[in-house]
Amino acid sequence: MVDEADRELRNLTYTAFVELGRAPTADEVAGAAALDRTDVADGWRRLHDQHALVLDPTGSRIWMANPFSAVPTPHRVHADGRWWFGNCAWDAFGIGAALHSDGRVETVCPDCDDPIAVEVRGGLPDDEALLFHCLVAARQWFDDIGYT
Amino acid sequence: MNLFRSEEHIDRWLDGRAPGATIPVTTLVDLATRWSDDRLSPAWRPHTRDENQAILDEVGLTGEFWRLP
Repeated sequence: MVDEADRELRNLTYTAFVELGRAPTADEVAGAAALDRTDVADGWRRLHDQHALVLDPTGSRIWMANPFSAVPTPHRVHADGRWWFGNCAWDAFGIGAALHSDGRVETVCPDCDDPIAVEVRGGLPDDEALLFHCLVAARQWFDDIGYT
Repeated sequence: MNLFRSEEHIDRWLDGRAPGATIPVTTLVDLATRWSDDRLSPAWRPHTRDENQAILDEVGLTGEFWRLP
């Protein structure tokens, strides 16, 4: 269960992510929220445990603020005037949705490494022949979210 | 969770591994839109398991593979 204080911390973190164009540090969020850095770190840990964001293996930095990735991935997105990284192809299309913006997804075919680019306008992709493959069944998505 | 140009590319990439599920990119865009369009809303609250399952169902992703725990 995410309580109101953690919900507000989560929203501040997401707002900072979009304003900065990258994941904020705990110090940056603490400054914006008038909290101690430790309070932010503790709140992030609770949000991680509730799958409301994902921390990196050190447990101290944002790794995923789904659909946004804090680290470079093969899934680049141009939306709302900026380039972003999605955690996977699914999240790549979620970035335009989150920003309420049309966008362009650029990735590579994991089989042949050929580039794939898709423009999404008004919720419609301009290449409808592409396929999405999800290897992991839904019941196991959070067993290892990095692998998923 | 990747995009591919065709089933042939997926089969080659799987290289003998058990396949998961393949869906058209149009379904993926619909799914991603419903899943993420509230992420930056000040009114955001966590989706419940049933709300997420309803999204999967609404875009036609039914069956055991798409059943959340």
